Amino acid sequence: MDLAWDLDREGDVSLVRCRVRNDDAVPRRVRIESRLDAPVLPPRRGGVPEEGWDETGVTLRLDPGERRALGFAARAPPADPPVEVAEVAAVDSTAESGGVVPSEGGGRAASATAAALRRLGDHRPPRDVVAGGETELGEADPKGDSSDSDRAAGTGTDAADIDEPAADSDAPLSPSGETTRWFDPVDEQLDAVEERIDKAERLTDADLATATEAVAEADGVEGLSGLDERVAADAARLRDLSERASALATRAEATDAPVEALERLA
Amino acid sequence: MILAVAGGKGGVGKTTLAYNVAAALDAVVVDADLGMADLPGGRGPDLHDVLAGEAGPIEALRAGPVDIVPCGRTLAGARAADLRRLEAAVAAIERERGTVVLDCPAGRRADAGVPLAVADACLLVVSPRAFALADAIRTRALARELDAGLVGCAVNRVTEEPPTDAIADALGAPASVVPADPRVGRSVAEERPVVDAAPDSAAAEAVRELARRVPRCQDRNF
Repeated sequence: MDLAWDLDREGDVSLVRCRVRNDDAVPRRVRIESRLDAPVLPPRRGGVPEEGWDETGVTLRLDPGERRALGFAARAPPADPPVEVAEVAAVDSTAESGGVVPSEGGGRAASATAAALRRLGDHRPPRDVVAGGETELGEADPKGDSSDSDRAAGTGTDAADIDEPAADSDAPLSPSGETTRWFDPVDEQLDAVEERIDKAERLTDADLATATEAVAEADGVEGLSGLDERVAADAARLRDLSERASALATRAEATDAPVEALERLA
Repeated sequence: MILAVAGGKGGVGKTTLAYNVAAALDAVVVDADLGMADLPGGRGPDLHDVLAGEAGPIEALRAGPVDIVPCGRTLAGARAADLRRLEAAVAAIERERGTVVLDCPAGRRADAGVPLAVADACLLVVSPRAFALADAIRTRALARELDAGLVGCAVNRVTEEPPTDAIADALGAPASVVPADPRVGRSVAEERPVVDAAPDSAAAEAVRELARRVPRCQDRNF
């Protein structure tokens, strides 16, 4: 088995490239393991590791004379050598031919699930529609997280139950309750904006590794499309909002409504 | 036994047939349409929570004329759902309840493929229109790749004699005709499966015929 490798360093991540060739006259199953002091970050498609990869390396099936190029990353300092051939075994001739040995112990359906996830498009709605906080499906809870308390308060009927006594009753709302409910959507919007800005900050003057990571987190470059315009629009709106908010705060502080006196009179 | 009810195209009646066939099989029906849930919801945990690792599959079971595992209605829930958890979740329900019917989403994305990968067999739903058949043929190809044997196809909401033989030939499975019947259409929202509401109707007989094609116990090669 012929193994060649080289290694790049990006930030605190080591990127390992290697080429392996089966120089025997028979098909071989070869196990290549990382010697780096961190879990292997294997190539992924749709968030699922390519077949054959696990935390310590990859298992491949190579035909006679076949070459294969591989690469992975690990958050660890470089080692020399970074990879080694851990095992070379004869291939069971009855096993079906294929590039990679299916991961063991996974069972038929588990690998079928992985195969379906790898081959088919991602089903998840894009992150931005979720972060925006304004996309509900029917009786969705607007916050979008599914903790029990939120779910209980988030279904349509429940929300109506909560809102109605407040709207019907003549008594003034408790100031804290009103304020909290009023501010929740604002906070959500600001959280969504903050998330976009975080993303943009990480990409500002980023080195290759950080940028790669950010792109991966955003599920590809498409996930970032329009980010710059959105953040620029955010900046303008935040300035307007902050001016208006501080003006309103000044006016709010300046007021002195004699409610108690009026109540005594009434 | 895990049966996926699929069809490629939306709006052909997958959910309605999944619900009614589950009634005939005395099975649990799981709403696996993560982005556009159709089966009645309810309070308590749903499939989104199960796939996010926040609830157990049995906790999400909701009793009714047909027991349902409902699906959440939020995009955030759909985004947080990890399809890798589906197989174990469905297997747990199968161990507990015997037969599970998965109501699959339309399309050919991972959320349509993974239920097929998890299922032992699948049932395709087509409407008697040519364009629906094209989607069903694509889904059939996907089911074949993912090793979900096709037990039959349902030509749904038929009002005039459809080309059943041509459909059966195209899909390579026996085609059953489910006549248009308003009681079938209402069955999901009212939670009254047609085999109970109108056991003597032609639609109920068609649903029972589909259910009979489903092997009760699949020889699974692990």
